Amino acid sequence: MRRQCVRQSPAPAVQVAGRLYRGSAMLATSVLLDSGVEHIRGGFYNPAMVTPVLTSLLTLASNLHGHVDRHGRRHGARHAVFALTVATGAAGTAFHIYNILKKPGGLRWQNLFYSGPLGAPSAITLSGLFGLLAERVRDTPADTMPRIFGINAGRVLSAVTALSLLGTSGEAGLLHFRGSFQNPAMYLPVTMPPAAAALMTGAALGKSRKSHWFTPLWLVLTGAMGIAGTGFHIYGVSRAMGGWRNWRQTMFDGPPIPAPPSFTGIALAGLAALALLRAHPEDGEATWA
Amino acid sequence: MREYRLDDEVDFLIIGTGAGGGTLAGKLAEHGFSVIALDAGLYFRPLEDFASDETEQEKLYWLDRRVCDGADPLQMGGKNSGKAVGGSMVHFAMVSLRFRPEWFKSRSLLGYGADWPLDWREMWHYYRQAELALSISGPVSYPWGPKRPRYPYRAHEVNSAGRLLAKGAEALGMQWTETPLATVSAPRGKSPPCVYRGFCRFGCSTNAKQSTLNTWIPRAIAAGAEIRDLAMAGRIEVNDAGRATGVRFHRNGAWHFQRARNVVVSGYAIETPRLLLNSATPRHPHGLANSSGLVGKYLMTQSNQAVFGRMDDEVRWYKGPPSLTITEHWNYQDNKDFFGGYCWMAQGPLPIEWAFIQTGARGLWGEALRRDMMNYNHQVGLKMVGEVLPDTRNHVTLDDERDQYGLRIPRITFSWGENDKILIDHAIGQMTLSMQAIGAREIFAQREDANHLAGTARMGFSPETSVVNADCRSWDIANLWVCDGSVFPTTGGVNPSLTIQAIALRTADRIKAMAQHGEL
Ligand SMILES: Cc1cc2nc3c(=O)[nH]c(=O)nc-3n(C[C@H](O)[C@H](O)[C@H](O)COP(=O)(O)OP(=O)(O)OC[C@H]3O[C@@H](n4cnc5c(N)ncnc54)[C@H](O)[C@@H]3O)c2cc1C
Ligand code: SF4
Repeated sequence: MRRQCVRQSPAPAVQVAGRLYRGSAMLATSVLLDSGVEHIRGGFYNPAMVTPVLTSLLTLASNLHGHVDRHGRRHGARHAVFALTVATGAAGTAFHIYNILKKPGGLRWQNLFYSGPLGAPSAITLSGLFGLLAERVRDTPADTMPRIFGINAGRVLSAVTALSLLGTSGEAGLLHFRGSFQNPAMYLPVTMPPAAAALMTGAALGKSRKSHWFTPLWLVLTGAMGIAGTGFHIYGVSRAMGGWRNWRQTMFDGPPIPAPPSFTGIALAGLAALALLRAHPEDGEATWA
Repeated sequence: MREYRLDDEVDFLIIGTGAGGGTLAGKLAEHGFSVIALDAGLYFRPLEDFASDETEQEKLYWLDRRVCDGADPLQMGGKNSGKAVGGSMVHFAMVSLRFRPEWFKSRSLLGYGADWPLDWREMWHYYRQAELALSISGPVSYPWGPKRPRYPYRAHEVNSAGRLLAKGAEALGMQWTETPLATVSAPRGKSPPCVYRGFCRFGCSTNAKQSTLNTWIPRAIAAGAEIRDLAMAGRIEVNDAGRATGVRFHRNGAWHFQRARNVVVSGYAIETPRLLLNSATPRHPHGLANSSGLVGKYLMTQSNQAVFGRMDDEVRWYKGPPSLTITEHWNYQDNKDFFGGYCWMAQGPLPIEWAFIQTGARGLWGEALRRDMMNYNHQVGLKMVGEVLPDTRNHVTLDDERDQYGLRIPRITFSWGENDKILIDHAIGQMTLSMQAIGAREIFAQREDANHLAGTARMGFSPETSVVNADCRSWDIANLWVCDGSVFPTTGGVNPSLTIQAIALRTADRIKAMAQHGEL
């Protein structure tokens, strides 16, 4: 009794992969701009500082390619780029941790606040991971449920999204704590994403068929908050000495304008996960939207 | 801003708008009293009036003539006294520390100095108020003393000079932390976050710094107080009933008289006793509030010696507020052979100040000085703030010479005591060890330096042994008060301004309570 509503082109799995590419691209853009700005500020003191810029550019290109590619198969080069991205992000995180530990005082708030952020390289990892997952999902024959390590890809992706939301929220929390939550809006990215993470955990573990209208809505709101965050950060820059007239200084020192949309990127991946779950209920009928 | 007429009898006329007077003006006005606060200095606007220029900013200092003597004459001016609305805090270094609780009872608990008539737990409450009012940026948890609430703003990023202090402290097995500072690490109202240009002690043209000038004074004005700048108080008038009636002050080239129900003197440790002494009458031949003979006595400063050295790597110590890290180790250690305590902080003198240290402490001059100044970016240093014991031989009296207003000028007599010298030697030894531990070369000590003032109108338990009581009210004249750093019976081993503000906040609350009970 399967399949009346499929067989349009592109294939549904490819559609879901498309969403993942968009999420990954969003993250990559955020990383590209953010790490670009931060590492320009750091004067590319260490040559390794160009790596995130190059990797995110490559990821972005792969996402674009994946997006226009209508074949229901994975692509070797793209897959390789995404894998490389994951590795780069992990190396970056390790490097930033090493930098923190070698400072006087080691693991203390001062060093967590003012060293290379732990969350930023993790965002690179995530964008690569979403890309990898997209490749996996699209590589599934049209009628079968996409699986990752034998588990329903929708569930895996939901779990990954939940973790990513928590991690990114933790990063925002650390930096907003550093900013003493001086503006009440600074509480949004430490409250909305964890709630979304809880919902996504529910999606990852709960009944696949059970359709929640609230979870996608909350993800959309969380994604919108990411965009709004950019607006808030633009305003934040205006509050530094000289405001936007002094942008060459304030844009570097103020709140990072490109950072908040990483929430949007993850929310997009979350929506893709939900679409997968809806499309492949483990115990019943497919309902491709 | 509300303006009063000369014959309006205001509830409180405050002389001086610094840490004591400015804070008190704000809080009393918020309590609903009518308040005028006079200051001999100008009302500056940081964004328009301040330049990032060491010499230009001398306009913030009290540079009127004073005579200094004693075995170790104090150097007066920029290091210890300001003349501006906002007082010395306009160019203070923003270090905002709490006393160690035992210091409020140093005579009975630690065996030296004098006890304060204040309880540390009550002060803890007012310290918190002051920290909130100034949005102090400090560490998430403070390593010494009883638990205190989290600072309102997070600590600033530590510069390399601050990190080198940390490295040295860790090598000596001491704790260190980021110094709680009165400059914001995130936006607050009209203040942008600190931009780390290091001109803090010359007035902050960014307006990131939180001082009386941009916290308590605006609050005072908003609550209806008048701030009267360029007004030099010359004499407090007292009537036959023994009550103060108002103040004679000089403004716009002439003398005026402002009536008031209460007069508060907040001119700091030199100008406060000077004004009280200059206001002598036949009934009060030794000056006002001076039946104990203690007005002007027990002048204290704080030892401010330093150890400097040179690193192979660039340090650029001028970046950021000068004292980004601190160790209070020796304030909380009682295993030592002297009384009192001290802390030390990272340093970042600007070039002119550094040149003074080079010529003064090292005697460099000419080509040698020029060559050494080239190492400015590699220099690193530690500077102490040490407790000086109260000593009757250190005092402020009146000289026969007169100033531009025709008022007798103060004579400031100071010598280090034996305990002070031992404490200083100990500190220089410890700071030298810390500098050696980080691999600094050409280490030298700056042996002669002092900074903050205190004492000269001490608070206490009885009219015989003190000038004012715990509420800063003079024992002799019920409507005459002293509220500034001069009420300190002892000075502790930390910078004083937060304690002065806490005292002012407490005084305002006490005055409100007394007014409610008809005790004013
Ligand atoms: C360079 C420098 C750095 C410092 N750094 C720190 C620091 O980091 N941390 C800290 O806690 N403390 C610091 N201090 C000390 C701190 O600023 C003072 O202890 C504090 O401001 C004293 O407060 P006060 O109210 O007693 O007097 P002040 O703040 O000095 O105020 C006195 C005011 O009274 C006015 N005045 C005096 N006489 C008259 C008169 N007759 N008529 C009219 N007006 C008068 C003066 O113009 C002045 O404005 C620093 C001081 C200086 C100078
Ligand atoms: S370093 Fe910060 S507090 Fe000091 S003058 Fe500059 S902006 Fe002001």
